[in-house]
Amino acid sequence: MQRQRTGRKVMLTMAALALVVTSCGRSDDNSGSSSNSNNGTSADSGSSTDGAFAVDTADCPDNGTDGISGDTITLASSFPQSGLTAAFAQISKGYKAYFAQVNDAGGVEVAGKKYKIEVVDKDDEYNAAKTSANINELVGNDGSKAFAVFNVVGTANNIAIRQDLGENCVPNLFAATGSPAWGNPDYPWLVGSTLAPYTVEAVAFADYLKENDPSAKVAMLVQNDDYGKAYEEGFKQAIDGTDITVTKVAKYTAGANDVAAPVTELAATGADVFFNGSTLLACPNALQKATEANWTRAHTFVSGTCISKTLMGLAGKDADGVIAYTNTIDPANPAYADSEALATYKDTLEKFGDADVDPENGIVAYGYTQAAVLVKVLEESPELTRSAVLDTMRNIDISDQMGMLVDGVTLKMSADDAYLAENVQTIQYKYVSDTEAYFENVGDILDFEGKTKDITPEDLING
Amino acid sequence: MILAFDFNLFFDQTMNGVASGVIFSSIALAIVLIYRTTGLLNFAQGEMALFSTFITYKLAVDVGLPIAVAVVASAVIGFVGGAVIERVLIRPVEGAHNPLNVVIVTLGLFLAINALAALIFIKPGQEALRMPELFPAGEVLGIQKETVGFAFVLVLECVLLFLLLQKTKLGLALRGVASNPESSKLVGINTGTMLMVGWGLAAAVGAVGGSLAAMQGSGFDTSLMQTVLVFGFAAAALGGFDSLIGAVVGGLIVGIANAWTVQYVDALEGIELVVPFALILLVLLIRPNGLFGRTIVERV
Repeated sequence: MQRQRTGRKVMLTMAALALVVTSCGRSDDNSGSSSNSNNGTSADSGSSTDGAFAVDTADCPDNGTDGISGDTITLASSFPQSGLTAAFAQISKGYKAYFAQVNDAGGVEVAGKKYKIEVVDKDDEYNAAKTSANINELVGNDGSKAFAVFNVVGTANNIAIRQDLGENCVPNLFAATGSPAWGNPDYPWLVGSTLAPYTVEAVAFADYLKENDPSAKVAMLVQNDDYGKAYEEGFKQAIDGTDITVTKVAKYTAGANDVAAPVTELAATGADVFFNGSTLLACPNALQKATEANWTRAHTFVSGTCISKTLMGLAGKDADGVIAYTNTIDPANPAYADSEALATYKDTLEKFGDADVDPENGIVAYGYTQAAVLVKVLEESPELTRSAVLDTMRNIDISDQMGMLVDGVTLKMSADDAYLAENVQTIQYKYVSDTEAYFENVGDILDFEGKTKDITPEDLING
Repeated sequence: MILAFDFNLFFDQTMNGVASGVIFSSIALAIVLIYRTTGLLNFAQGEMALFSTFITYKLAVDVGLPIAVAVVASAVIGFVGGAVIERVLIRPVEGAHNPLNVVIVTLGLFLAINALAALIFIKPGQEALRMPELFPAGEVLGIQKETVGFAFVLVLECVLLFLLLQKTKLGLALRGVASNPESSKLVGINTGTMLMVGWGLAAAVGAVGGSLAAMQGSGFDTSLMQTVLVFGFAAAALGGFDSLIGAVVGGLIVGIANAWTVQYVDALEGIELVVPFALILLVLLIRPNGLFGRTIVERV
């Protein structure tokens, strides 16, 4: 019997351990669906006589053309391809189709010579430690195996690789999340993608309320981490001095799907606006619970990480009328049926995409757009070296329609502006039936060009 | 809150707690069923339930069975699957007389079944699925009809399990093996078969629990059972690992405590998981065998 008792203690200890293990599930802001973005420049590592960015290469090893062999430029990437966040793998279907099309037409022309683009990638299951190992392997410890890193998904994942890549002077381009941290001047080699920073979304919604509901009472649901903090602090800072008030900010643990209790709590505060900053399944669940709780609302915001076809589809009619912000076209929006950008996009996917790719998935359109912008950067680069490409990217100034970007969205960076895409389109979800639902554009493009630094609490950028 | 206690809000939050508590209870039931027959904790219980949940989905959506039929069918398939896992994967390592071997195997199964489910059932771009609803939307007496329905299913499960364990020969044999394997063998009970049945029953109960959990939210993905398993273990520890009624009560307590914490204890915002842990600690300090657990009598 003594033995059996010991057995029971062992069992309980193991149970406790397992609880800890399983509760450390996934986390985070995905990058996904479409709207967010960012990245970083440098105060001390660039010389900025006329506002132009120039990276400081004094400490760089002599490896500026590594990763180019013959006429092939090799890019390395790491993103989840299995597990809970495998949805993000769809991003790569978009950019691979675009690169295949460019390669098929002879390649991208840089400084008078044509190059093919090749992407090598590995699965990291959204685990930052794996991202680091993958990138080390694909780029090499000395940075000799790939020219640049492209479209690594996840905030923690990019943070895990930014130090090493920076020391080796390997560009890490189009980091795929909307973290404002991509504006940290200590990491000039890391540049964000066209996803607008989370704080831009929050401030854009605050502006929307100032115009449409100047005495709004807002209840916020945010994730209990930096991603949630960007929404909370960005929004609170933006409503400072107005009649808009925040009744309550409820936080939920990253990875938790059941948000019924916090939503009930928010509904009971008498707020008439719901700021739903949650992501993954928590987002449609929160909308469903808000309906169940008979919460009468004038306006509801959803995160740009929640506007994917899958998540909004799950919310269905509970999502009707929600407001979000993005800068890419929703391929399912009938208003774009005759758009040239959409036609070209669909045509490219049909000819060069995988057979199972869904062109109506906004995340595919996002990946396609990143490729279009990168190709443009390469074309404009005066020579094919790492520092020249980085400088070209960080001095980008495009106002023509690119990839699947909404017409009117500009891409602009400089020594003082470390964020790639800072203007967004207000979109509103229209639910017609379970098989027909999409986001409609509302009003004009909102221009936050060059303002992210001012509207974002400093600790979120440099922390 | 002191000035004007909002009773409606208190009621709504309690019902939120019951809604999630029912799910925790059903997984705790499965955990207890295996513990009772084998003296082991099955860490793969949640993922086995996840796999069954996908089967329910397939039967209901792709095959087109009515959802109630799909859940029952999935429970039957789960029963077979659970029995097979016991026979093929658990029994060979059990012989070593070290319970840790089996525990390690179930931890391995935890990872393997999750990955397998993703591989088989998830299509690219369709990572989350919507489970057809068993109960209609709307409220009755201020409670979601779904919550009432789930509670009914849980009660039904408990009644069936009670009848099976207390009123049938099979149940007697199962209980015999649980309380004294060696003597059971001597009186001619086939212990091996009973262990298989124990695993099968647990998997069937888990299949129902997983399917309900998937109906509760707007959709489900392969993360469905991960936090549920944590709370399920908490519920089982709270109620006592060998008590079916303890599992049910434990699940409800954990669910309700969790919802109350969200509403009334701002200091624990975002770390509500602390509450079930504190409850377990407290209960185990006062009653080491859980609220409803049997005390092991030592005879010298």
